[in-house]
Amino acid sequence: MAGLKTIIALSFVLAIGFLLVILSSALWKKYYTLLVVATYVVAPIPNWLCGRAANNDDFMESSGNGIVDFGRFLTGFLVVMGVALPAVLAHCHIIANLAMVMSIIGGFLIYGTIISFTMFFQEDEEF
Amino acid sequence: MSEHRLFRFPKPQWLNNANSRTAGVYIAGALFSLGFYFFIDACAFSKSKRNGSEIHITFIDWIPGICSALGMLVINSIDKTRLSADSFSYSGNGVAWKAKAVLFFGFALMAGGLAGSVSVMVLKYVIHEYPLQTLWFGIANVIANGLIMLSSVVLWIVQNMEDEYTYNLAL
Repeated sequence: MAGLKTIIALSFVLAIGFLLVILSSALWKKYYTLLVVATYVVAPIPNWLCGRAANNDDFMESSGNGIVDFGRFLTGFLVVMGVALPAVLAHCHIIANLAMVMSIIGGFLIYGTIISFTMFFQEDEEF
Repeated sequence: MSEHRLFRFPKPQWLNNANSRTAGVYIAGALFSLGFYFFIDACAFSKSKRNGSEIHITFIDWIPGICSALGMLVINSIDKTRLSADSFSYSGNGVAWKAKAVLFFGFALMAGGLAGSVSVMVLKYVIHEYPLQTLWFGIANVIANGLIMLSSVVLWIVQNMEDEYTYNLAL
């Protein structure tokens, strides 16, 4: 499933995403848009951590399920934060509008790469 | 189970799916984040150079949002299965009663947050007839509290869905 072509395509998309975000910060010499990259890199981490913390053994014990839901909640929070942060910065004229658009598109590309990469890896290890 | 239905229309089947439950939790987080950043936007705009007026966001504007977030925390940290527990079965000492009291506290906090945001908007911005740029602080506050409430509603529905799901697994 996860052949060489998908890895090449994913790295290509990741490079384009980083290019867009770095351009959006470097062209106007305002480096706040790099926060988008940090947000999207951090975004899947609560999901992984809380998935480890939960015990998958018993279905009936509902105590382990709450922490998984909390991790998902935090991930959803961080994903929207990646879009909302450039919008807030652009509304206050800290960054330009074009920089906002570029950093949002770049952030989506980076996050899409991370998500599809983990999906491919999980498919390999599934047993 | 289906004889105890209250409403005329049955619950749609996709609501009991595990995937829609997961999606609901993500959506709740996204809605909360959206509301939070509407308010952060108002705060940042208040201190930025574009704000021409001398009106700023103060701590008064923060109080409704804090109340809503606290109410959401209280509501969603309660185990929903305790609500329907019989008072004379294994859960003695009125656990269901206590859960209902705490839930009432949470709902009161959340409704107070929404009402407080509307009252801050009216008292601080609307009756002084400020331009839209300044009125935005109040509007963003109301939007933020409404979205936090919506997020809490989605989380509530999702957690009730979970019970049905585990019930089906138990059968």
